[in-house]
Amino acid sequence: MKYLTLILKNIRRNPLRTLLTAMGTMMLVCVVTLIWSVLSFLDRQTSEKSQNLKLIVTERWQLPSQMPLSYADILSKGAPREPNDLTIADRDSMTWQFFGGSTEEDPRNRSPDSILFAFALEPPKLATMMDELDELGGSVAAEFQRVVDKLAANRQGLVVGQSRLDLLKQKVGGRLTLFSLNYPGIKLDLEIVGTFPPGRYDLSAAIHRDYLSSAMDQYERETGRRHPMIDRTLNLVWLRVKDRQEMAQVAQQIESSPQFRNPQVKVETASSGIAAFLEAYRTLIWGMRWLLMPAIITVLAVIIANAISISVRERRTELAVLKVLGFRPNQLLCLVVMEALAIGVSAGLSSALATYLLINLGFGGVTFPIAFFSKFFIPWEAVVLGTIVGAGTALAGSVVPAWSARSVKVSEVFAKVA
Amino acid sequence: MLTEATLRWIGGLGAAIVCVCLLAISGAVPLRYNFRNLTVRWRTTLLTVIAFTFVIGLLTVMLSFVNGMQRLTESSGRDTNVLVISASATDEAFSSLTPEAVSGIENLPGISREGEQPLCSRETYLVVNQPIEQPRSEGPKRRFLQLRGVDNAEIAARVHEVRLHPGGSWFSAAGVQQGDADDDETVVEAVIGEGAARELGRDASNWQRDSVKALGRLDVGDTISMGGRRWRIVGVMQSAGSTMDSEIWTYRPLVAFIFGKQSYTTVVARCASSAAAGKLAQFLEKEYKVAPIKAFVETAYYAGLSGTNQQFTVAIMVVAFVMAVGGVFGIMNTMFAAISQRIKDIGVMRIIGFSRTQILTSFMLESLLIAFVGAATGCLLGSLVHGLSATSVVGSGQGGGGKTVVLKLVVDSGILSKGMILGIVMGFVGGLLPAGGAMRLKPLDAVR
Amino acid sequence: MPQANIVRVVNVHKYFRRGSERIDVLNGLSLEVAQADFLALMGPSGSGKTTLLNLIAGLDRPSEGQVIVGTDVISSMSETQLATWRTRNIGFIFQFYHLIPVLTAFENVELPLLLLPLNAAQRRQQVQTALQLVGLSDRMSHRPGQLSGGQQQRVGIARAIVTDPTLIVADEPTGDLDAKSAGEILDLLVELGTTLRKTIVMVTHDPRAAQRAHRVQHLDKGLLVDKPAMAYEHA
Repeated sequence: MKYLTLILKNIRRNPLRTLLTAMGTMMLVCVVTLIWSVLSFLDRQTSEKSQNLKLIVTERWQLPSQMPLSYADILSKGAPREPNDLTIADRDSMTWQFFGGSTEEDPRNRSPDSILFAFALEPPKLATMMDELDELGGSVAAEFQRVVDKLAANRQGLVVGQSRLDLLKQKVGGRLTLFSLNYPGIKLDLEIVGTFPPGRYDLSAAIHRDYLSSAMDQYERETGRRHPMIDRTLNLVWLRVKDRQEMAQVAQQIESSPQFRNPQVKVETASSGIAAFLEAYRTLIWGMRWLLMPAIITVLAVIIANAISISVRERRTELAVLKVLGFRPNQLLCLVVMEALAIGVSAGLSSALATYLLINLGFGGVTFPIAFFSKFFIPWEAVVLGTIVGAGTALAGSVVPAWSARSVKVSEVFAKVA
Repeated sequence: MLTEATLRWIGGLGAAIVCVCLLAISGAVPLRYNFRNLTVRWRTTLLTVIAFTFVIGLLTVMLSFVNGMQRLTESSGRDTNVLVISASATDEAFSSLTPEAVSGIENLPGISREGEQPLCSRETYLVVNQPIEQPRSEGPKRRFLQLRGVDNAEIAARVHEVRLHPGGSWFSAAGVQQGDADDDETVVEAVIGEGAARELGRDASNWQRDSVKALGRLDVGDTISMGGRRWRIVGVMQSAGSTMDSEIWTYRPLVAFIFGKQSYTTVVARCASSAAAGKLAQFLEKEYKVAPIKAFVETAYYAGLSGTNQQFTVAIMVVAFVMAVGGVFGIMNTMFAAISQRIKDIGVMRIIGFSRTQILTSFMLESLLIAFVGAATGCLLGSLVHGLSATSVVGSGQGGGGKTVVLKLVVDSGILSKGMILGIVMGFVGGLLPAGGAMRLKPLDAVR
Repeated sequence: MPQANIVRVVNVHKYFRRGSERIDVLNGLSLEVAQADFLALMGPSGSGKTTLLNLIAGLDRPSEGQVIVGTDVISSMSETQLATWRTRNIGFIFQFYHLIPVLTAFENVELPLLLLPLNAAQRRQQVQTALQLVGLSDRMSHRPGQLSGGQQQRVGIARAIVTDPTLIVADEPTGDLDAKSAGEILDLLVELGTTLRKTIVMVTHDPRAAQRAHRVQHLDKGLLVDKPAMAYEHA
């Protein structure tokens, strides 16, 4: 690259302008990275996979889905009735019961920070079935497995995300009592046995499902009445299947089963279920994808185009001199484009990288509440994307100025000077 | 939305900008000189204006969305109504009230009556899964519909002050009617909000309907399927601008029958005045012992659903701020370049006797003019979205729940002034450094 | 003959600092210029003539000594005061004209008038008079780029006289012009002195230009000298 020095010199000639252009690029690439991260996460959640599918079984017609706990065992196996029917292995299923509670007994004193929503489930499933937690590796996986084992051993255990723990002003090992919001009359005495790995579950919590069941039994013993939630306590059953064919078979087994009449149930892929939730946000997502992103990228291209065209105009004489020295028009064009690219790529890369580090490590994710997702993280692909956006906008922004550099007329420039 | 500190800060900047403009008018700043320069460098000027236009245009659109949500929650509910849900519920959807709890409320003093009948609507609100008959390939295969079963349609209409579009009627006493001739099953009668009717009209299976072609929505006589039954629309509510717009109403016992939801979720009681409503709500909250309940003046309940609005507002502010900073860098570039091209001019003007302040003002003015034109264009383009429909979710902002709503984007003077203020502040901040540099140039060095 | 002294430069020193080094440019120079005088300052490069001109025009302040123009002691004015003072009292003519390229001849001349409390009609009147004086009434709406060098310098002169200043200072006004145009510009300057009784201080290298002045002062090493330096005479 024999013109590299020339390009670098030009970039350094007006450090202020280079800096301003780079800063502007960085700001906008940062926004693009953030938005793209949110969109790509949602896209991934809603894109249909063909292998290793997760299915969710919920109440057919109503929201929130509330099924009797008696459904749990049969649903977990995929409701096989005939000898040839498919049976889901134990490790490939998970039941969810949502338990919401506050550390404050008096409803008037409850604040968002004192409220905790927990999944009540079979502890081992935390590591085998929960999205992302079932894909952990290395020391993080081993560490989390220890937490899961503690919960399995301690019925009154509580696993909670670090951010939620901070909100509750608690530490691992601490104890708390939750007065339920959705299970009237139930209170749980819990001991915090560990935290989720940092990330998606920072604000979540999980408890042992046996503890919730026994709490409802105790309610019945004490009051002589069945707990009103007892037939509506099962919210969701997760099943993992190998492929679409298995999915169709399991769906058929469950939906045709006479055991699930009142209420009826439905089977769908997790991604399809999430898509249904996101439908309400369709304007918002559309706007982010088709309005915000393109507009920001346009602004970026415009800012770069402006900077580059200013620098070309200021250097008309020099460019003419280069032509006199024997540079071909296309070489001048390349010089200008390369200059823009150098700025665009380095600003794009450093901005995306900074966003990646800052958001993921510094802020612990972007807070943007949409459906039941609250925090978003920057995937490493976003760094690549940021660089590409920087390069692409630099290219787009430099085309016109580079063309005008290419077509500098030597005679005109020198006529003015002479 | 804006804290007091930022307001004061903006106020300060505003004062500075006014000063610049006053100087421009009163003092001897060669306006024509600035204007001429802007037009001579029209490419740079135009590019900068475009950048401003986009930033401010986006801000306008984003704010109009939140504004639409805000308007919707503000205009939902009546301040003469009291809304009651169960104590443990965070949302109507999670509420559960026994018949005893409900009838105990009905006979309380303070509730208006029509003849013998208390104006008290007993309702069951639920969110229903509806499979979409012909889903688009990329879209979801089902959606959520908000269904409200009411015991007495006339009372509910009076309490909520809702009217039907001409040609519609409330459901009959049975709530069902005979289906199409070749079909033995009865169809369920439903009254539907305008927004919900539009939303359902978007389905591929409904495009061919005459009502959708003519009105862009389903109309009286159209049928939909839900909960394994056919439902016929007997009335369309004039519900634009409230959360009822996204609801489907039907006879409550049918809801219990079809969806197995036996309990009530909500009681809405009408009072003679807002003061009476406040008193009733307080009484229910403190003294009502039949069942644990929560009571709100209806407007307060809906105002509480603005949590998501605030969360969106924060996100918008962050995006707008970062974009604005990017824009500031853009205009700084333009102004620095403008000044470096005209260093000699500045020198001459200083030698002729123009003061530093006048030079500063002159360049600030250029920057502000670019910003003003860009921001105004942005506001103008952004305003084009005014009145468009959008979907969103309003809720308290915590722990799930929330209502899916159809809303209208609203661009109002508040948004426009925010757009103009941001644009001008960007121009001011972006111009300050370069103009300051121009001001400090030594005249003798400048002409060399 | 000239009477009252318009410019009095009294024992002026001017030095600059470059790092720790002190560079003396003017060394106790004194000079007087009378009303309607046309003084040419000559001298080799680095003799301090431009520095002296800048001090007289109020563009710079002396390190020591006094500069008095009319009744104003400009050597003790602040920079802001100087700016205001220049507007009313000094007309400046540059070697490279320094017209503002985006403004027309009329607007360039009008520029200093914007600083004075005049209405548009008054300004128009004065600009027209000035342009008429320099013989460019027919070029008022031309931009500098559309004018020849000589014409541009005449616009420069018009701009210098339009405020009716006490003193006109010219820094190599003919340095960038061909002989014919230079002659015309000098004619104009002389005429300003005779018909309008303007006081002119001009720095020049050009002996032909100096010839047209009433008086020539030579500078060398920061002092006025009687005899020009040898090397310079042939320039």
